[in-house]
Amino acid sequence: MYSCEQAARLSSKAMEQPLAPKERILLGMHLMMCKGCTGFAQQIEFLRRASRKIPEVLEKDAD
Amino acid sequence: MAEQDDQAQALQAHRAYLLRYAQFQLRDAALAEDAVQDTLIAALAQPGRFEGRSQLRTWLTGILKHKIVDLGRSRSRGASAHAAGEGEDGDSALGAFNAQGKWVEAPADWGMPDAALESSQFWRVYQECCQRLSERDALVFSTREVMGLSSEEICKKFGISTTNLHVILFRARLSLRSCMSENWFKTNHE
Repeated sequence: MYSCEQAARLSSKAMEQPLAPKERILLGMHLMMCKGCTGFAQQIEFLRRASRKIPEVLEKDAD
Repeated sequence: MAEQDDQAQALQAHRAYLLRYAQFQLRDAALAEDAVQDTLIAALAQPGRFEGRSQLRTWLTGILKHKIVDLGRSRSRGASAHAAGEGEDGDSALGAFNAQGKWVEAPADWGMPDAALESSQFWRVYQECCQRLSERDALVFSTREVMGLSSEEICKKFGISTTNLHVILFRARLSLRSCMSENWFKTNHE
């Protein structure tokens, strides 16, 4: 079983490269039972969406 | 000569944007100025690349990204020389987990966070939270998430391993997430 720390690390790694099948399954099992880690995974995805909008925000301010 | 003046003027129109872009990533007005200067010089050295306004900006931003990484990388290398051991490549999770790997404070529910993207106050908090990252972590994070360079490109440019990159990005995400939670999502705002 993964700990929350392992699950959180893998959620972050999954944003960079596909996980190994075993990692994917163990992470999925952990997320199914853990609200905190599910929130973490969604929130770092949100932070990526937000970060990608930064150039747009800077553009609004500059023009 | 007149044509060159036109080109210089066309570039000038994008200067304010480029400067904001560079300053956001580099957090240093003088260094940002250098990056933009280098970009405009590089652009002027390639005449015939001046097309539509939006394309010109995209092209200039593409050059600027590389200048930012080059300048930022050499500066943070100098800075981390004396801050070595601060866990530069160490695997610290910033005390977010206890010895059993459980959250010390489990991530709170953010509800529907995307509405925040419309708030200018949100972006101020976001920038402040980015500034709490170490110089190098902030630059690596920003190169990946704001400038959108690929993991592979970043490893090559910063001379770090993939494992290293994952550690830095995880540390940055942990810190940014908890800072945003504390200073935005748990706070009431209109």
